[in-house]
Amino acid sequence: MENQEQQASAADVLTQAIANKLDYLSTLQAAVQHGDDRQVYELLDQARYYQEIKKTRAARTVNHLAELVDNIHPQISHYLSDNLIDYLGHVYPFFYYEEYTTGRFHIYFGNWWDRRLFGDLDVVNVRFNFDKTEYQKLQRSFELEAQHQRLNTAKIEQISSESEALQKLMDAQSVRDNQKTQLREQLKENSQKSSMPWDTSKIKDERQQIVDQLTELADQDEKALNAHKAIKENDDKILVLSKEDTILNYEKQSIRDAFDDFEHFEAHNQSLYADYLNSLIGKSEGGVKTND
Amino acid sequence: MINENDPSTLTTSGRLLNYNEAIKSGLETGLTFTKLMDQLIKTHDADELVAAATQLADFKLDSDYVTFPHQYSNADYYLLFMSRMLELHDQGKHVMVQSRDHHEELTQQLTPLGDRGTFSFRVETSENGGVFYRERATGQSLFYLNLERKMFRFNSHALTQLFIIDLHDTVPADTVKASVQILVDFARYLKEDYGYSVDFNVLDAANQQNYAVRSADLPAGVVDRLFVAAAKNDYMLTNGVNGNGAQIQLDKNVVVDIFNNQLEGQPEWVLTVHDDDQKVSWFDILLRYPFMRDWYLENLDDLEIVSDPLIFS
Repeated sequence: MENQEQQASAADVLTQAIANKLDYLSTLQAAVQHGDDRQVYELLDQARYYQEIKKTRAARTVNHLAELVDNIHPQISHYLSDNLIDYLGHVYPFFYYEEYTTGRFHIYFGNWWDRRLFGDLDVVNVRFNFDKTEYQKLQRSFELEAQHQRLNTAKIEQISSESEALQKLMDAQSVRDNQKTQLREQLKENSQKSSMPWDTSKIKDERQQIVDQLTELADQDEKALNAHKAIKENDDKILVLSKEDTILNYEKQSIRDAFDDFEHFEAHNQSLYADYLNSLIGKSEGGVKTND
Repeated sequence: MINENDPSTLTTSGRLLNYNEAIKSGLETGLTFTKLMDQLIKTHDADELVAAATQLADFKLDSDYVTFPHQYSNADYYLLFMSRMLELHDQGKHVMVQSRDHHEELTQQLTPLGDRGTFSFRVETSENGGVFYRERATGQSLFYLNLERKMFRFNSHALTQLFIIDLHDTVPADTVKASVQILVDFARYLKEDYGYSVDFNVLDAANQQNYAVRSADLPAGVVDRLFVAAAKNDYMLTNGVNGNGAQIQLDKNVVVDIFNNQLEGQPEWVLTVHDDDQKVSWFDILLRYPFMRDWYLENLDDLEIVSDPLIFS
């Protein structure tokens, strides 16, 4: 008897557990069928929903039901992306998204030439996963703005002055050629000087000095010989850096146009989940779908 | 046996008759020539004009027995033909033909350009035939014309060298535009009225015109340079419409695209210019936008628009 009872209650418990899952899934299904994205989001992460939207700290037991749909996240993400990207289009008009595989989205910053791949959009969690390197460059260039500098200003200046020096080296070839002729004359004179014992070291020193100068000039000649190529390479480096500065400038301008400054932009990113879900709530409460 | 072609076999009277015939035919050639000249200079019928010019283009006035000491060169008939063609389209005053004082040779000036350019035709001596329209001081051949083959080809290199580089500092853009328009009109009449095959090249204002650049596989740095230069001039180079290449909107209605026209196989980078009225050519862009001109000239080795390779090499 007891065994049977135990058996029965075990069955009840399991039935209930299965019922909970079925209930979860059918609620989710109904939400999708009714296009109720807000409820889909609530079902996907109830803890977060209650914390950020309901602002209740009610410690609801974690039911792990959301794990049921873990392996269909790509489809869920694909489904939810329609409305989310619509919304983002208004708030972040400078971001462009590309669904590179079902439910996964690359973020591109801007529509200018060679715009940067800026990270991924996590649709299910309503979150930007920005590329760290790219994001830091942008952050840094906002910081540098206060000093009226661009990210690559210093580097470009350094390379430019390097090129200028190389150009001077090339221009001074005839001056060096004259110097070399003179020094060789001096070397000749030096070697013809009578080598009295008391003069020997003086003459040797003099000779060493001339040889040193000639070596120095030969070094410069060699640099000048390669200068043309080096300047061209520097031009290419400067182009890459100016291009990056230009892109960063467009990015900064876009952020200023939409958010006034970088801090507001970051604040918006922080509250994106809450802002988006509240906008969905607003829509359903308003009853009328605004299509602005 | 008497052989008419061998004078030694002829009687004296036979020889005289032959001589007389040769002179007659030489004179007839001369008469034909004067008729064609009359036709070229006086006709008001465009068909007759083209017919006269085409025949005069390779007319041999001299024969063994009759030679004419004062002659214009064939190239000069082309010059007459060109001005008469413009005249028949009420544009006669747009060119001025001048004859030299001491010998028979014609030169031409484009009225808006005045003495900053003197033009004449130069006969192509290879078996291709035809003539090149040349600026005499710089030697730039702006276009090639072949009446027999009904061919007309503009030369992007020469147009750029003469108008975009050499005359840039001394001649205002409007003047250049007006001068070049005369050449375009001349080509247009030949195309529209006589079915000439015309390559307007950089002067083609049609939207569908693809201007092929010299480096078919254009280095990415060239486009990057335009991106940076555009930003400095408050323009933005954006991604191309299909994510292929780049685009720049220069004015409300003027859009330049630079893209690879072959998505598969050998790349073929081209430029296009779109404007609602189809009145703006790549040449106009170079005249109107200094930063586009600078970019084009700085990267000319890669960007120079290709002209007909069979004519201009």
